[in-house]
Amino acid sequence: MNGVRQGWLVAKREMRERSRSRAFRASVVLMIVAVAAVLTLPALLMPGGGAKDIGLTGAAPPALAATVGQQAHAAGTTARIHHYASLTAGERAVRQGRVDVLVVGAQRLEWRGRADQQLEAVVTMAIQLVTVQQRAAAADIRPDAVSDLLAPVPITNVELGPVAGRSPADETAVVVMTGVLLFCISVFGAMVLNGVLEEKGSRVVEVLLARIPARTLLAGKIVGIGLLGLAQIGVTAVVALVTVTAVHSIDVPAVRAAVLAWALVWFVLGYVLYATVYGALGSLGSRVEDAQSVAGPASVVLVVAYFASFAMIAQPASALARAISFFPLTAPMAMPGRIAMGAAAWWEPIAAAVLTLAATAGLVLLAGRVYTSAILHSGPALSLREAWRATARPGPSATEADTHVAKALLHRARPLTGGRTTMTTDLTKHRLLITVLTGIGIALGIAVAVLTADVIIGVIAGAGFIAIATQMVNLWTRHSGPPVAHH
Amino acid sequence: MLGFDGVTKRFGPLTALDQCTFTARPGRLTGFLGPNGAGKTTAMRTVFGLVELDAGTVRWQGRPVSAAERARFGYMPEERGLYPRMRVRDQLVYLGQLSGHRAKNVAGSVDSWLERLGLAERAADRLDTLSHGNQQRVQLIAALVNDPDLLVLDEPFSGLDPIAVAAMGELLSDLAAGGATVLFSSHQLDLVEDLCQDVVIIERGHIVLAGELDDLRAAVPDRFVDIRYQGKAPDWCRLAPATVVEAGDGQARLRMERGADVAGLLAALQDQADIVSFNYQPPTLSELFREAVAA
Repeated sequence: MNGVRQGWLVAKREMRERSRSRAFRASVVLMIVAVAAVLTLPALLMPGGGAKDIGLTGAAPPALAATVGQQAHAAGTTARIHHYASLTAGERAVRQGRVDVLVVGAQRLEWRGRADQQLEAVVTMAIQLVTVQQRAAAADIRPDAVSDLLAPVPITNVELGPVAGRSPADETAVVVMTGVLLFCISVFGAMVLNGVLEEKGSRVVEVLLARIPARTLLAGKIVGIGLLGLAQIGVTAVVALVTVTAVHSIDVPAVRAAVLAWALVWFVLGYVLYATVYGALGSLGSRVEDAQSVAGPASVVLVVAYFASFAMIAQPASALARAISFFPLTAPMAMPGRIAMGAAAWWEPIAAAVLTLAATAGLVLLAGRVYTSAILHSGPALSLREAWRATARPGPSATEADTHVAKALLHRARPLTGGRTTMTTDLTKHRLLITVLTGIGIALGIAVAVLTADVIIGVIAGAGFIAIATQMVNLWTRHSGPPVAHH
Repeated sequence: MLGFDGVTKRFGPLTALDQCTFTARPGRLTGFLGPNGAGKTTAMRTVFGLVELDAGTVRWQGRPVSAAERARFGYMPEERGLYPRMRVRDQLVYLGQLSGHRAKNVAGSVDSWLERLGLAERAADRLDTLSHGNQQRVQLIAALVNDPDLLVLDEPFSGLDPIAVAAMGELLSDLAAGGATVLFSSHQLDLVEDLCQDVVIIERGHIVLAGELDDLRAAVPDRFVDIRYQGKAPDWCRLAPATVVEAGDGQARLRMERGADVAGLLAALQDQADIVSFNYQPPTLSELFREAVAA
């Protein structure tokens, strides 16, 4: 029997059933609407590019209206001029929002609220110009000569950014991209996690595993949800692109095609890596409600990886940035940013990708073992140690549960004192281990802070280490939460 | 033919299956019996590779079971479960395909089974909109879609109403008559006695009895005599070598050794009472079971 064919059947089922579900369709629509809104709202809230209404009242040079128009045009907007016979009428127009600014006697600008700096510059410049021309005429100087005299010196802005050839726009693009990568990997990873738990909860998993190996089931699920995820990302990206082109709300940074392609590659690599971990951890639980408790460690690692990459955006060429862009668990977050910032040599992404793939292959083997031994277990969530040693009894079935419980009670009743003692030493060991790991984490944080001369990076490193280590210990022994009687 | 050969499985300190050896033959119904927690479910799971064995082999037609052969097996786990939100027909076709069959062939089989079990109109409905009984039927079809040579059913009769029990029994007998090997577990011993030609009894991971039901019953040294009488009861103490198991209200059940003088017993009874019926037979499956499990 062909494993690839079976895996593909599983993947196809995932895609067909999920794309049929109302929840998934709603999430797709919601994501599209959210992206379109995020891109359109700034344009709606800040109509910076639209025409400006300017009111004039009181004594003003006759040329002012025309000059304001010229200046506005030069600044890239259009000005509509309104004349008001009285100050009261003009101010009413400002208060009602019919004009953006009221020019009183070419000397005072009246605003409804805070001054619009761009408009202020346009109007002020126009007043200066008209006044200078008036004075020049009075002093018998040719108006042309004045214009020549006041011709502006062209000044260009150059945004250097942290790396030659990359601008702050690239930096923004990296921030957005890293966030999107985190979002996508965690959303689709969570779908794998929930899928595994749903199959366990509905007990369909036994029917499936009688037909196909556990690894094929997990692989098919990861591929199916991944392809669906890519399709969703694709649709959303197209909508985003169309919106941006139509609305001109934000500048699309001239993101290089190669950067986008690499971002996609790293999404796939990161997704497969984390989905494998999520799938294996999912098999430890029994119901969808267990998702949080079994998958906590993977989520913490993912978020720490995100913050580490985020902190590295400003110095993409540093040794630490290089390190996290090669370490398989952080690479999917960190490497795309370094590529976009032009801080990675051509071979670096390739080497990091190979490293991540190798790590994924290793994880697939480990995850496969955990998944295979834990998937038929029902009842309270397993610890990773139990699943690893494959001593977990595949679920006491419903009718057997009674005798099982009775036996367990008998067991518990007999060696009551003995059981207590081992439990207490277990807990003491566990607390000691957590304390030691916390100490190491603090030391690591301080060391990193000193070495990088950056307190924030030190805090992230230390806190990240402590969070991950604690979660791992809890997962391994399943002594999470307050010390209650266990086993 | 399905063969268990020294199959052993341990879960930590617990030995769930200890050197289990028995066979289930084609064309026959084999009842798999044992108290709760004896290892029935674990044993059935080993057939499908759901449990990694510590020792021993499960064989099909004399060879260790491989993935290719499992494609020709049908399994109904005790913990019933399918995708609740998937449509009935889609789901069954999918499961058939996973067993390695082409969608087209499976679809025909699914449709005919849906028709036969009266579910044809519900084919396009989501599973969770079906009644409990109908969901059970779908679960059964899931085990049958690939037209299996070996059918393993864990407690197929649990939760069924009497009519459904009869229908299920008939179906299993038909499948066996068609040449399939059928192994199923049950606690309903009377039902097993009616349906099965072979039984396997497991207790705490050990196979304590296995073989043809008639042979097993015949091999037991005990024989039972059921009598009905009118009027005065016979003197129960004067019926040696038979002893009374239970008596009352015009009927009684006596026990005696195999080979003892039956005709003498009948004569003695007729001397003392007005005997209406006299039935000499080996122990029932229930008695066999209790004996085997208590030992």
